[in-house]
Amino acid sequence: MKKAILFRLRAVVALIVLVIVFSFLSPAFLTPSNLIILAKHVAINSLLAIGMTFVILSGGIDLSVGSIAGLSGMIAGLLLHDGLILRPLGVVVFFNVGCVIVLSVLVGIAVGALNGLLVTRMRVAPFIVTLGTLYAARGAALLISNGATFPNLVGQVDLGNTGFQFLGAGTILRLPTPIWLMAILGLIGAFLAEKTPFGRRVYAVGGNERAAYLAGVRVARVKLIVYMISGGCAALAGLVIASQLAAAHPATGTTFELSAIAAVVLGGTSLAGGKGSVVGTMIGAFVIGVLNDGLVLLGVSEFWQYVIKGFVILFAAIMDKWASSAAPQAGRAPRRGL
Amino acid sequence: MKRLIILMMTIIATHGVGACNKSKGGGARQEGHKLIVIITPPHDNPFFKAEAETAAAKAKVLGYDTLVLSHEDDANRQDQLVDTAIGNRARAIILDNAGADATVATVRRAREAGVPSFLMDREINGTGIAVAQIISNNYQGATLGAQEFVRLMGERGNYVEFLGKESDTNAVIRTKGFNDVLSKYPEMKCIARVSANWSQTEAFQKMETILQANRSIDGVIAGNDTMALGVAAALKGAGLKKTIVVGFDGSPDVIAAVKAGEIRATVLQPASRIASMAVEQADTYIRRGSTGLPEKQLIDCLLVTPENADKFGLFELK
Repeated sequence: MKKAILFRLRAVVALIVLVIVFSFLSPAFLTPSNLIILAKHVAINSLLAIGMTFVILSGGIDLSVGSIAGLSGMIAGLLLHDGLILRPLGVVVFFNVGCVIVLSVLVGIAVGALNGLLVTRMRVAPFIVTLGTLYAARGAALLISNGATFPNLVGQVDLGNTGFQFLGAGTILRLPTPIWLMAILGLIGAFLAEKTPFGRRVYAVGGNERAAYLAGVRVARVKLIVYMISGGCAALAGLVIASQLAAAHPATGTTFELSAIAAVVLGGTSLAGGKGSVVGTMIGAFVIGVLNDGLVLLGVSEFWQYVIKGFVILFAAIMDKWASSAAPQAGRAPRRGL
Repeated sequence: MKRLIILMMTIIATHGVGACNKSKGGGARQEGHKLIVIITPPHDNPFFKAEAETAAAKAKVLGYDTLVLSHEDDANRQDQLVDTAIGNRARAIILDNAGADATVATVRRAREAGVPSFLMDREINGTGIAVAQIISNNYQGATLGAQEFVRLMGERGNYVEFLGKESDTNAVIRTKGFNDVLSKYPEMKCIARVSANWSQTEAFQKMETILQANRSIDGVIAGNDTMALGVAAALKGAGLKKTIVVGFDGSPDVIAAVKAGEIRATVLQPASRIASMAVEQADTYIRRGSTGLPEKQLIDCLLVTPENADKFGLFELK
């Protein structure tokens, strides 16, 4: 059964084909060290895409993730570089790295909560709400430093805030930390979506919101939570980037939302909601990552890279459409009924 | 309520982020006869920020009101901002433009409306349209950087070149400058030439990938400083401390990295000097009807090395 589901995902086919093509064309592609680097690059997009999957499954969309990533990196940069300046008290508070990470992720969750509240309470379309927060969060990120980069985020020993680089550049059991983050978040995400009542409510809301409401699902709360998940995931991605570069730049994450949405859709999740999986999203993120890195390894011109990426996304989406119209819907995910 | 919020969001959406930064709230229109409008690419790059702030400070010293705007590297947005300047009856536009060809018609329209333009940093493909084009000599800077790169490499070895956004004039000029020098040394082998779109994150990831294909890289020459920083971070992560990195721009972060030995050299574009010159010439033109100088003025770039790094401030010699 599991196998059947996997093979229904055309992204898997695309991934296998791409891996074969690139290993054929470049001897460096299928080496353990390249695959580790590749997975590390995929981690950033897949962190964003895991959160995005929940939003899209619930029938929404979150365009603000790239900006949230930029904002959270800047918050971390501010707290590590300048500290929290409390003017009335005349003191500057420096937090240790753990607190900095938690605070930055909380900011992401808060922006997500704002998205969720505007969608549920004010009943504004998610596309518009998150377009608004896309701009507002980017503006906030730029305002924090007035457009400047926070450089050299290694912390100071006497302030006790060293070690931020571990998040993006460190390793656990010889694997880079971002890969572990991706794996852990992927597992939690898949468990949450497939095995918990909350996950079933997300599918139900995305499949048929009215039916879910009549069945007693607290639709507003489910929607609020999915945007908070997405905001938190995006913030974590922003922290990984800032940590890798040991610098926080306010324009970080521009257009990342599009790669995240592409990964979700490539992974077989329906933009209409109610159908799809976190595992599919991860595979989708790998398809994009393999393309990105593979084309760089081959030295393909930047302009052709755009064209090729576009065609792979279109091709996979068309394949998916064929597959779903050829085979009648099986499986437990409810379809969207109108 | 719902309509109100949609309206608010639309206003935010259409007006973009951080584009408008009035120096004196609301006074611009009334005092239009003393207004200078300064338009640059986005300020998240310290280069353009320094350029805009120096120009604004200089204009204030000379007794003008200023309106500092950013065209976000979008020629269409630049066109709208120039309309704003014309509408506010600005006395001059100080412009770091959004494209050598896409800017020509915009500047011409301003001129026909009686607003002279003074271009700084980048040129446009046409003369007699702007009053002055005070251009950072990117070609000279690129050859300067490439010569230092060759010297550091000992005239031999494998290197990688990082290009800026390939649709940007400066990316093309810089890569030409690099290659006119580097091609004279047959033992310098370019093993990869990639674009990282001026971006630190992109340069970091692409450098990591290139290192997978080939670890015997002796040097990297980058078309700007943010890419050089991304490359340096990737090399540091891979434990390659001897690889020579040379950047371009002279941003404060990279000058600090040059002092620390992580980046070996960069080429400083004197943005602050160019910006003051543009404003001074605008002032002369407004008062006398002529700048008394040729339209095209090429300003040379300066090489920053560990030995002289202390002498440089924010995009200028101290």
